[in-house]
Amino acid sequence: MSNWLNQHIQTLKLVLKRMQANTLSTFMICLVIGVAMCLPSLFYLAVDNLSKLTDHIQKDTEISLFLNVEAGAGAIKTIERQLAQNEEIERFHLVTKEEAWKQLQLKSQSNQDVNDAVSQLGKNPLPDAFFIQAKSADPDSLIQLKDTLQNLPNVELALLNTEWVKRLSSLLSLGKKLISMIAGLLAIVLLVIIGNTVRMQILTQKDEIEVSNLIGATSSFIRMPFLYAGALYGLFGGLMAVLMLIGIIHVFNLSMSQIAHLYSNDFSLSLFNLQLFLAVIIIAVCIGWAGSYIAVSRAIASYKIN
Amino acid sequence: MIQFDKVTKRYPGSDEILKNISFNIDAGEFVFLTGHSGAGKSTLLKLIAATERPTSGTVLIANQNVSQLKPSAIPFLRRRFGLIFQDHKLLYDRNCFENVILPLHINGISGQEAAKRVRAALDKVGLLHKEKAMPITLSGGEQQRLAIARAVVSRPSILLADEPTGNLDASYAADIMAIFYAFNQVGVTVIMSTHDALGMSTAQNRVLHINQGSLSEPLLNTSNFNQESSSIERFTS
Repeated sequence: MSNWLNQHIQTLKLVLKRMQANTLSTFMICLVIGVAMCLPSLFYLAVDNLSKLTDHIQKDTEISLFLNVEAGAGAIKTIERQLAQNEEIERFHLVTKEEAWKQLQLKSQSNQDVNDAVSQLGKNPLPDAFFIQAKSADPDSLIQLKDTLQNLPNVELALLNTEWVKRLSSLLSLGKKLISMIAGLLAIVLLVIIGNTVRMQILTQKDEIEVSNLIGATSSFIRMPFLYAGALYGLFGGLMAVLMLIGIIHVFNLSMSQIAHLYSNDFSLSLFNLQLFLAVIIIAVCIGWAGSYIAVSRAIASYKIN
Repeated sequence: MIQFDKVTKRYPGSDEILKNISFNIDAGEFVFLTGHSGAGKSTLLKLIAATERPTSGTVLIANQNVSQLKPSAIPFLRRRFGLIFQDHKLLYDRNCFENVILPLHINGISGQEAAKRVRAALDKVGLLHKEKAMPITLSGGEQQRLAIARAVVSRPSILLADEPTGNLDASYAADIMAIFYAFNQVGVTVIMSTHDALGMSTAQNRVLHINQGSLSEPLLNTSNFNQESSSIERFTS
């Protein structure tokens, strides 16, 4: 047992020593793996964060209830009471036609054309309106709520804009499918890159494989250092990918916070997605191991006796 | 120890390299394998070391039929041999000590025990003071001695040497031969191919001569005499 362990430690030391001796080429290989792992991860992060954002937006979805222009104070009171009794409604507020008119005048001041149009209107054309926040964020139940509200007396129009939310979420699910395809393709690329790298290494260590084979090394003994090398390339490449991801997200968040500030929105990419980082590293190690296994097995097969 | 029975070897698309060869080598013998270049000496050694399989006939090594061995068993058969090549096949990316320790790692021996045995092997070939040197800095004779150290470090019972002195001048060659004789004295079977048997062999050696794929045993001696002498030497040494 200790002998077995010792052999593995010896092999690992040998492999690390070789990597140290070829720092630049090792770095290049890890960089390639890092970039290849980084791309789908970044894409995943983007889609993941966007879907979080749409959840947020869906929660913010309001139903606007415009009353008849003729509806008096009594009708408003009745509707207000009905809304307060409705279990599905989280909160609501009333904007009377006078308030809306004032707001419109205030906002249009900065724009000359709109200001002209508004002042030409003369009298207030706006209705009283309720803005309602539902408890549920589910588009279907929102539509149902909208329909019941529409049927209330004195309601001119109940307005709910869920269409674009629906479109966004279907786009997002398309994006998720796209990620898995891109990730699959890049996994194949990685397998080939690492396999090829190990094959190149095998060429430089052809003598060692041949001599080991001649003096009675088993296939697993010959394979071991190459498997370690492949797994280590994967490990370092994965770590590099994680570093790149952190860097990119950091830079992105810096500029994002400016934009989000303009929209008075508190949005940033969640940085420490530990699960994603672990997944990236583990997948890279597995691919590295598999790639070198394929390459070295082919090389050993060429020394089989005939 | 090594039995060939009607062994024929043919590579795809070539004539028969070895034709119907039968012989028997006992433990402790010192056998020269002679013949012209291309006569089939190397092929015969490859058949013994199980790097080639016979086209027909049987090769028995320590009563194991090489043709019937599973691929996974062949490495363990090869560990019985110490192989020495004309071109040394040293690994030039590591120093002498690391070259010699390779067979021990393959056998799962490491640490102090391995280091002790490596130094003992280097001492036997007179290279103990060069253990940290890289093989490329050694002379041709020293490189061949290093290859011998690597072949004997795992204490094989059979040494197979393919023209070990082929590229060396006479004085280096004599050094190498002295080392082989010393191993033979302690009971190691030595099989050595050479195209220059007359310069090497003494009356005690058995000689297998290959000519155009056929084997003959010139009458330099008899194998009985050889066995007797080697066992006496073993007894007295």
